[in-house]
Amino acid sequence: MWKWIQKLASPKVFFETTNKLIPWFLWPFIGLILLGLYWGLVVAPADYQQGESFRIMYIHVPSAWMSMLVYFIMAVVGGIGLIWQIKMAQVVAKVSAPIGASFTLIALATGAIWGKPMWGAWWVWDARLTSELILLFLYLAYISLNNAFDDPKTASKASSILAIVGLVNLPIIHYSVKWWNTLHQGSILEDISKPSVHPDMLWPLLIMVFAFQFLYGLLLLLNARDEILVREQNSRWVRELVTGE
Amino acid sequence: MTLAETLSYLPYGKYAFYIWLSYGVTFLVIAELFVRASRNHKKVHFDLKNKYAREDD
Repeated sequence: MWKWIQKLASPKVFFETTNKLIPWFLWPFIGLILLGLYWGLVVAPADYQQGESFRIMYIHVPSAWMSMLVYFIMAVVGGIGLIWQIKMAQVVAKVSAPIGASFTLIALATGAIWGKPMWGAWWVWDARLTSELILLFLYLAYISLNNAFDDPKTASKASSILAIVGLVNLPIIHYSVKWWNTLHQGSILEDISKPSVHPDMLWPLLIMVFAFQFLYGLLLLLNARDEILVREQNSRWVRELVTGE
Repeated sequence: MTLAETLSYLPYGKYAFYIWLSYGVTFLVIAELFVRASRNHKKVHFDLKNKYAREDD
């Protein structure tokens, strides 16, 4: 196991692995997103309280979950890169940030669009919404801090520390609907063994969650392979690969 | 008549505007991620090829 990790930490092996893994994320993503959209937009019945508007949930909930999961991965992997000086961990953390920021943006935008017909307002300064907005700012701060240094080592050191400090925001987002009296509804998946919604509404949600996870993996691989080439541009194997010798 | 009322002939009736708008925004944001990844991929290969060509001179 340890040998395998050490091998994967080598830029060349990591690069080859990313290229091999891309189809394994692309096709499951396409399959799951088509199935999830069909089930969620066509098959699932309308909600008895919210009517058709609940269908926004199928993108709102997965993207909100991913916004937190990607941040968690970014902070943990960034921490690993910081402690053990593993370059490939730094690459994964760096390319995760714009993807996570996009998921956060989607969660906020779809939430606002859902909020207008349900609450009568695009935005309220509710605990859940405010903490999610802070998450977006954390992502943006991470990205700008990463771009502020010429030396990629210093950049990932500084930004990883920021990411780890920002981790404190994740439990705040998660428990905000319990700790404070919020307008935002509680989680519909508090306990997977006794879900509070009909299976025809729950299944498409779970499928969309998996689809978004594969989407993250796919985008991560696509961006990581180019980031490796840039960082390793002085190695012989990159030169041979690019010039096709 | 508001935009939401104007678009209520679409599937999902009075919520059509909100549902299609949120799916549209999501599609655009994700599409942008793919476009940016593809542009970056081309740029990295182009820049590195130039760099190596310069060094060979």
